[in-house]
Amino acid sequence: MNAPVLVRNLSKTFYDEGRGEVRAVDSISFECREGEVFGLLGANGAGKTTTLRMLSTILAPSSGTANILGHDVVTDSQGVRKNLGFYSSTTALYPRLTARETIDFFARINQYPADRVKERVEYLIQRFGLAKYADARVEKLSSGMKQKVSIARTVAHDPLIVIFDEPTVGLDVLNALEVQESISELRSEGKTIIFSTHIMSEAERLCDRIAIIHGGRILASDTLAGLRESTGQHYLEDIFVLYVKAGQETV
Amino acid sequence: MNWSVLRLLYIHEIKMLVRARRTVVMALVIPAVIMPVMIYAQKFANDRRERTLTATTYLYAVTGPLADRVRSLIENTRQAVAENKDEEFDNLRQFKFDEIRLANPRESLDNNTIQFYVQAISGEEADKLPSTNDGSGSRPSSAPPPSKRLTGVPRVTVIYRADRDGSDNAHNRIMELLRLAREKDSQLLLVDRGFPGSPKGLFAAQDSNIATNGQVTGSLVGRFITLFLVMMMFTGGAVASMDIIAGEKERGTLETLLTTAVRRTEIVTAKLMAITCVALVITLIQGVNFFLYIRLKVIALPKDFDLQLPTGMALTLLALFIPLAATIAAVLLMLSAYAKSYKEAQMYFFPVYMVSMIPALASVMPGLSLRSAIALVPLANVSVASREILMGRPDPLMIMVTFLVMALTAVFLIRMSARMLAREDLVIPSHSEPAEFLGGPALFQKRVLRWFALMWAVTFAVAANVPQLATFQRQLVFNEVVIMIGATLLMLKFYNLDVTDALSLRRVKPAVWLAILFAIPSGYLTALAIFRIVNKVIPAPQQLLERFAEDFIPAGMPMWQLYLYVAVLPAICEEIAFRGMLLNGLRRRLRPAALMVSVGIIFGLFHMTLFRIAPTALLGMILTGIALMTGSIFPGMLMHAGNNAFGLWAGGGGLGLETLDWQYYAAAGSIFALALWIIYRNRTPLPTRSVYRGA
Repeated sequence: MNAPVLVRNLSKTFYDEGRGEVRAVDSISFECREGEVFGLLGANGAGKTTTLRMLSTILAPSSGTANILGHDVVTDSQGVRKNLGFYSSTTALYPRLTARETIDFFARINQYPADRVKERVEYLIQRFGLAKYADARVEKLSSGMKQKVSIARTVAHDPLIVIFDEPTVGLDVLNALEVQESISELRSEGKTIIFSTHIMSEAERLCDRIAIIHGGRILASDTLAGLRESTGQHYLEDIFVLYVKAGQETV
Repeated sequence: MNWSVLRLLYIHEIKMLVRARRTVVMALVIPAVIMPVMIYAQKFANDRRERTLTATTYLYAVTGPLADRVRSLIENTRQAVAENKDEEFDNLRQFKFDEIRLANPRESLDNNTIQFYVQAISGEEADKLPSTNDGSGSRPSSAPPPSKRLTGVPRVTVIYRADRDGSDNAHNRIMELLRLAREKDSQLLLVDRGFPGSPKGLFAAQDSNIATNGQVTGSLVGRFITLFLVMMMFTGGAVASMDIIAGEKERGTLETLLTTAVRRTEIVTAKLMAITCVALVITLIQGVNFFLYIRLKVIALPKDFDLQLPTGMALTLLALFIPLAATIAAVLLMLSAYAKSYKEAQMYFFPVYMVSMIPALASVMPGLSLRSAIALVPLANVSVASREILMGRPDPLMIMVTFLVMALTAVFLIRMSARMLAREDLVIPSHSEPAEFLGGPALFQKRVLRWFALMWAVTFAVAANVPQLATFQRQLVFNEVVIMIGATLLMLKFYNLDVTDALSLRRVKPAVWLAILFAIPSGYLTALAIFRIVNKVIPAPQQLLERFAEDFIPAGMPMWQLYLYVAVLPAICEEIAFRGMLLNGLRRRLRPAALMVSVGIIFGLFHMTLFRIAPTALLGMILTGIALMTGSIFPGMLMHAGNNAFGLWAGGGGLGLETLDWQYYAAAGSIFALALWIIYRNRTPLPTRSVYRGA
């Protein structure tokens, strides 16, 4: 069976006034298997967000291809977005909508069957523990509650693929744990998840396979056990440092 | 377009706007409450001032050797005014003033004891005074000069203080009274010598207006209604538009929306509908406000004001105002999409608003009819159409054209806005467009239109403001050599362009040259036929055509010079600029048909006279088509020079080509089509649009 996410030689070059020509993503290739959490582990500026923005069709690739459930990100961007939930620290919520309205709105515009929207909204409200605050405006909610509403709106249309771009950035420990639990639950529902982070413990705990990304290139991609075996290191932090140093030496 | 998604997005946008307290206050509460309060306050202040001024008894003094004569003149005139019941003397009848005797009236005026004093001196005394001396001892620099006095004529000066409301008002009334007194005195002198004293005794001057009050009112309202609506819609729509994309970018919700399954065109259309809706609601509120002000007599209407708006007329106006609102909303949406932040959007608003006022003023221009090229100019066409409709002279065909032009403009702007949402540098502000960074040919493609806008502005400004260049030869040399060639050289240097590539200096197949030779006369005759057909629908003003011909071809110029200036020079310079630089800059961004239309219209706009824009734009489109087919500017150069030279030759020789039988035109059209076909069969085109941009 074909992998639901298939990325081949994907590159993105952009031009920054301060840094000049930046090859943010440099010919990366990977694939995600059905029902797994695929982690992109890298430091800030490694190219994680740019890669995920290309997968979610916000940015157009400079070269290479990416397919989500058989839909090409360039030629069938709408098909990609229908099957995708995208969550990032930069994707904000509408402050003047209530939690219930937010989930309802995103389910409908992502073309979830209209006759099942109400049921889906109620399910997500219960599932994320939002019942008490469901009719409060988002602007009135605490950051933890906003985080839950954000995840609920990401999966409002029940997409098969969900992308989480550094979802725990800026959260306290308890809220971060709740987000991690939500991701684990989504995996157990059979969703394919692409998850980017720079926090080693998160990657260790959540990811079935991890790709180490640095300078826009994927330096290694395997299960945690596989990475341990190939490097002889136990801790992911050591494995990461080893690959990054080796990568820099190669450059 | 998915209509249910569109409906959903539209309701969402409206919900967001209604829930934004600040927006509601700015958009609805201020126009609905603050404006009436302000207008009432102003009316209250004006009425109070008027009452105070009317109730006040003004004190004044009279000085000088002729004081007694002035006193008697004032007294007699006041009596005459009191007896006369004409409305024109109402102001003077209500004017109450008493004279007091004073030793030093100037000091009393400064102390505000009196409001003015009158100084009357004899002719001899006035002749001795310097001409600038009015007797008051001082003269403010801002005061108007005194009227010219004949030698030996006595002088009566009213001395007052313009910085005091009471003094200024009293001065105006006494001056009016003194002029009336002079007139009465003059009449008495004439009667004494046996002439008819009153002008009314000579003959009665009357006028008779055959326009109905409704037509006069329609003409008055029609001149300003579009301007008023454009102002209202812009300010009203801006309240919503600033937040609707620029605000979303700032908050991060735009990125969220862009990751959903909706298309960018659907997002943009829903936002446009929301802005249009807000603009129309605010305009309606303002309209109701003004209606109430008029009904409550807060705003005084002109005498005989009688606005008639039958249902048909109201619906026709509405049919024009809805695309007008959509176009304004689209302009605002584009501005919001282009801005990277709310603040940036606010910065762009004012210049765009001011520029939009200009076409809306078209209805004020005398003699401008909708049955002209103005029908093709967005906003200006609605302005002129509204005036004609309100005057009771609607032109159904041209109203239809106006509606179509406005609708197409709105659609074009919506597409532009949707494209902006696909631009990464606008959606994610940290990204720069590659062209901005790389410079060179890539940047030239982005900047070429700015260059041509600048060239147009310089050409226009110089033609209007530099009289030294007003002659035929100088103006042509300046436009063709300095502007066209100068700008071309600058662009080549700035963007480091390859001359051969940028100017399309390529060889073409020999058959093309032969086809061009056939295309010159046949194309000219075909254009004449089109002109005759168009002239039946939109007649070009004959006086303008004749005047243009007189101005265009100066008398006494040798023929060789005439051909050089009219045919050779424009053909070389304009082909280098338009089919060379402009086409090169745009050809990777537009499809061939869009290229022909765009380059043709820009070429037309450089031929400043309004009625020349359409025919030159058509010629520009044909020349662009030839350049695209051949990949070279040389055939177009020959065609351009040949066309102008043929026109000169035919016009000078009085061949009467413009009145030929239609079969000749049909034959010419066939030959022209054949020539174009030959060029097409021997085409050697340049690559045009290379990158497909999906929505």
